[in-house]
Amino acid sequence: MSVLLTGQLVAAVLFGVGLYGALSQTNLVMIMMGVELMLGAAMLNVVFFWRYLHPEMYSGQMFMLVLMTVMAVEMAVGFGVATARFRAKGSVEMEEAGELRG
Amino acid sequence: MTATLVVFLAPLAAAVLSVLFGRVAAWLAASGALASGVAAAAILARTASGESWEASVEWLPGLSVSLSVTTLTALLGVTVATVAFFVLVYAVGYMAGETERTRFFASMSLFLAAMQALVLSGDWLSFLVAWEVMALASYLLIGHWHERGDARDAASRAFVTTRTADIGLYIAVFLLASTTGTTSMAAAAPGGPATALAGLLLLVAAATKAAQVPFQGWLAAAMAGPTPVSALLHSATLVAAGVLLMVRAFPLLPPGVLLVVGLVGGITTVVAGLTAVAQPDLKRLLAASTSSQLGLMLLALGAGSVAAAVFHLIAHAAMKSTLFLATGVFQRDRGSTAFRDLLGAGRDSRPAYLAFAVAGLALAGVPPLSGFWSKDAVLAAALASADAWILVPLGFAGSLLTGTYVARALRLLWRGETVVPGPRGGQAGIRSDAGGVWMRAGLLALGAGAAAVGLLARPLEELTAMTLPGGWGAVAMGLAAAALGLMGGWLLPARRLLGGLLPWAERGFVVGGGLAAFIVRPVQRLAMAIGGFDRSLHSLVGGAARFALALAARVSAVDVRLHRGVEGAADGALSVARLVQASDRDGIDALIAALARGTRELGRAGRRLQSGLVHRYLALTVAGFAALALIVTLVVFV
Repeated sequence: MSVLLTGQLVAAVLFGVGLYGALSQTNLVMIMMGVELMLGAAMLNVVFFWRYLHPEMYSGQMFMLVLMTVMAVEMAVGFGVATARFRAKGSVEMEEAGELRG
Repeated sequence: MTATLVVFLAPLAAAVLSVLFGRVAAWLAASGALASGVAAAAILARTASGESWEASVEWLPGLSVSLSVTTLTALLGVTVATVAFFVLVYAVGYMAGETERTRFFASMSLFLAAMQALVLSGDWLSFLVAWEVMALASYLLIGHWHERGDARDAASRAFVTTRTADIGLYIAVFLLASTTGTTSMAAAAPGGPATALAGLLLLVAAATKAAQVPFQGWLAAAMAGPTPVSALLHSATLVAAGVLLMVRAFPLLPPGVLLVVGLVGGITTVVAGLTAVAQPDLKRLLAASTSSQLGLMLLALGAGSVAAAVFHLIAHAAMKSTLFLATGVFQRDRGSTAFRDLLGAGRDSRPAYLAFAVAGLALAGVPPLSGFWSKDAVLAAALASADAWILVPLGFAGSLLTGTYVARALRLLWRGETVVPGPRGGQAGIRSDAGGVWMRAGLLALGAGAAAVGLLARPLEELTAMTLPGGWGAVAMGLAAAALGLMGGWLLPARRLLGGLLPWAERGFVVGGGLAAFIVRPVQRLAMAIGGFDRSLHSLVGGAARFALALAARVSAVDVRLHRGVEGAADGALSVARLVQASDRDGIDALIAALARGTRELGRAGRRLQSGLVHRYLALTVAGFAALALIVTLVVFV
């Protein structure tokens, strides 16, 4: 089994774990951890594709850095929401957060 | 190169450091402006020998950001930094005792940094970035007293109005970049309809930023911000950015577009001049006056003279910031800027009145103050242009109105009229009395600038290697306009002269709404027309039914008396009428009801999806992606 395929499998497993976590958890922090795992899987894919398919193109690395920044920003926003929610309601249980109901 | 970067990085650093070290925010902001000014002066000195250079950094493959340093941009950089420095010194006094000083000074520094970056940018991309940052900073500053509703509204209005028109800028830049193949400003325009369209779109963006007709409404509302903000925003930064955009785009513009530029400027200078004469509030008068003076600059550009426009821009920056800063002093004394509260305020604080009078007379064009030289250059440019027949009368009327409103303000501040009718547009009082020294220092320095900038005309001409248009005709016209205007404003009750125009002028010539007038109202009218058509269709059907019914009834009444056999025919007619009526009720009405019911059901179904629960949204997202992946797989592999 090639290294590339192994990497893809690891990423797929990671993505599945993340998806399960994001769907099954009700705590906002846990949901975000699931999302984090999925993003990690996607980034792993990017790295493997770059390394084993087009190692001569440095733009793959640049793209990776952009992804990482996006991830960090997204987490900052997510935890900002979580903190605000916790301060206002004393809980980050998403089952209880139905205020945005249309 | 280093000095070029310092020009806009110093204020930016000041903005960042202000957030970290809030206690010394004022000093950081002032020293940031000072450093920016010194660096700009240094590069101006280097460009004085005819040197000019471009520095570009490639930050993505094929996409470079460049700075362009010419005498013109360096000169504007010096002007912006100087005005900003003195305004900041003044603000140290003005903001004493305010609670949110850190935010204020950080925003001011950011504003300055954005303007300097805009001035120095050498390609459309960095120009757009600086333009956007400035829009943000102006939003923050106008809405500085965000606990007040009018400040919030004014900030949103300024932001939304200017952003809407920025679409024009984006499309224009896209057009230019796609036709020339580069984002550099120096690229020669290919000509043809694409360039003309791009020029007109740039004019829309510039006219909105510079508060020209028909978008001038937001500027008067922006008066809700602190006075130093108005001083900076109206003199060397936000509105000047509109003129700067036209100056930078000038080489691209074909003659037809230039005429439009000149007409927009000329019409604005007259309309905004009338508005200024009518205003019952000093700050609003100055706001309208800014529109009017920027109109003169666009008029000069339309007449083909960049030099006159830039010179008037510099002189106006000094004059208008002085006027606003003096207004801030009166405002602090009286707790309002409405004329009825300011009657005689000039006698209470004479240094401020002196500065106000010097800057005001300069604005009206009294020799040897700065406005005399710059306005003469504008008028001379108009005289020399091919479209003098329309530009000269507009420029003359604008200058005349300038004298009128300046004299009116001076008279009201010194002697006062007994009754000034009109709505109260005053500002909330300034709480503290500390810091008067700082305010006076900034004010007097800028006042001296307003008086003396005109004497720099000759050296500046040599420095920039541009010639200011001149001539005795323009001098005579400028002097006549100034004298007539000032006399008219001082001796006559100017507001009453406007007669029936007054209520309209007071509201800034309703089209000032711009968006409201040009988009909302036509849409409303269209909706009303469609509604009326619907109603008339309905009544037509109903009328036909009623008519048939009446006919049938009459026929039956006659027939009953004549013959029983005819009754059958009458019954037939009656049943036809019923059929028509029933089809009206069950057909058309039921259709409309069904449509309404269907829409409501659809809305209800859509609402059910909006559970507000994050995990449900996540599940829906996953399901959607799965479906999408399935479709893609089927399309690709089957």
